[in-house]
Amino acid sequence: MPDAKGRRIALGCEGSANKLGIGIIAHDPLTGEAIVLSNVRDTFVSPPGTGFLPKDTARHHRAYFVRVAKKALAASGVSIDEIDCICYTKGPGMGGPLTSVAVGARTLALLWGKELVGVNHCVGHIEMGRAITGASNPVVLYVSGGNTQVIAYAEQRYRIFGETLDIAVGNCLDRFARTLEISNDPAPGYNIEQLAKQGGRVLLDLPYAVKGMDCSFSGILGRADDLAAQMKAGEPGPDGEPFTPADLCFSLQETVFAMLVEITERAMAHVGSNQVLIVGGVGCNERLQEMMGAMAAERGGSVYATDERFCIDNGIMIAHAGLLAYETGFRTPLEESTCTQRFRTDEVFVKWRD
Amino acid sequence: MATDDNFPCSLTLQVPFPDARLASVALQALRVDKELSGLVKRELTTVAAPESSDAGETILRVDYKATTNRMLRVAVNSFMDSLALVLEVQEEMDVDVIESEKASQ
Repeated sequence: MPDAKGRRIALGCEGSANKLGIGIIAHDPLTGEAIVLSNVRDTFVSPPGTGFLPKDTARHHRAYFVRVAKKALAASGVSIDEIDCICYTKGPGMGGPLTSVAVGARTLALLWGKELVGVNHCVGHIEMGRAITGASNPVVLYVSGGNTQVIAYAEQRYRIFGETLDIAVGNCLDRFARTLEISNDPAPGYNIEQLAKQGGRVLLDLPYAVKGMDCSFSGILGRADDLAAQMKAGEPGPDGEPFTPADLCFSLQETVFAMLVEITERAMAHVGSNQVLIVGGVGCNERLQEMMGAMAAERGGSVYATDERFCIDNGIMIAHAGLLAYETGFRTPLEESTCTQRFRTDEVFVKWRD
Repeated sequence: MATDDNFPCSLTLQVPFPDARLASVALQALRVDKELSGLVKRELTTVAAPESSDAGETILRVDYKATTNRMLRVAVNSFMDSLALVLEVQEEMDVDVIESEKASQ
């Protein structure tokens, strides 16, 4: 039931990758405002040179679920009565981690007598980005460790205009961080970004793989790994000088980000938009924001991005997108509250928009 | 569950709960996800405790059968992990627990 102020409230649980996030959101029916009441997250960080494996990640989420949920509930100040529904990430993502969070969400829903709402992770990112930045109808670049898509809204679907043909751009960066044995704390991509700032003396030659509206990253990663091996063997770079991990990070970022800017621009031209919204963990990257901003400005537009509270996987985006769906009458019956590793962004009927 | 030549390795777990409501919550939360492997079959139900059948069905009963002991072990261990989460949520976040914690603040 609505809270003391007449607002609708949802609790959202996210765990499709290595971040466990639980958040509570309020929707004001009079103003249409979305208010973040709490947003708590715990990240499973694996040692340098390694990535996070499904079994360990699921174990982390199970171990931290109660802790994070209680913190989110206490910080929000709402009572169980005031919560309308429990939202959880149905997919896409890693199977074991997704399911471990779903089990927790189901148990809460059953104990508290609340209905469940299964949410598409990508739609969660998009809706939170729209809410936080106020961007009305931008082309969305969704870039993370697990996803790379260029999305535009049309007729009640988030349509995928372009995407990676193989791995996500964040996956390319994360796996390159492993090659260089860069720390995964707080996130490998963040550390690559900092290291890249020390580069810039030389732009190493990496394959630029844009294919129409789509792009590909596995070839770039392979070549970057080769260059890293050359560097470790003491071989000089293309200009005859030795090169450093910073040079590699700089070159990798410049190349992959330019590719993303190109496919985003192509979608903007197609759709006739000059606004770009960047969501997903890679969206925190300031160099990407800068490059995208330069392109958008040339077209007389602008780029919108959120800070790390919202661009990195979090529970509040699941609560927000879930509550939007709930308010249109959408429910996920308990028997259907499963998770799925593959869940296309355009499978969701966006009933809450025109 | 009848014995099955194709699934010769079996195990039954009986998990007691404080009351029938909690046993039912666990049953409903855990039976949604299908077994990942076709080499494992699982049946979940609640039953009454023999000594106190008037308390309702307070026991969560799981019957597993699998083609090999290894598959059985993997499936049962995974189930125990999920069960542990359900129990922790019930212990720490049921309505009365949250309310009494709020009241004592």
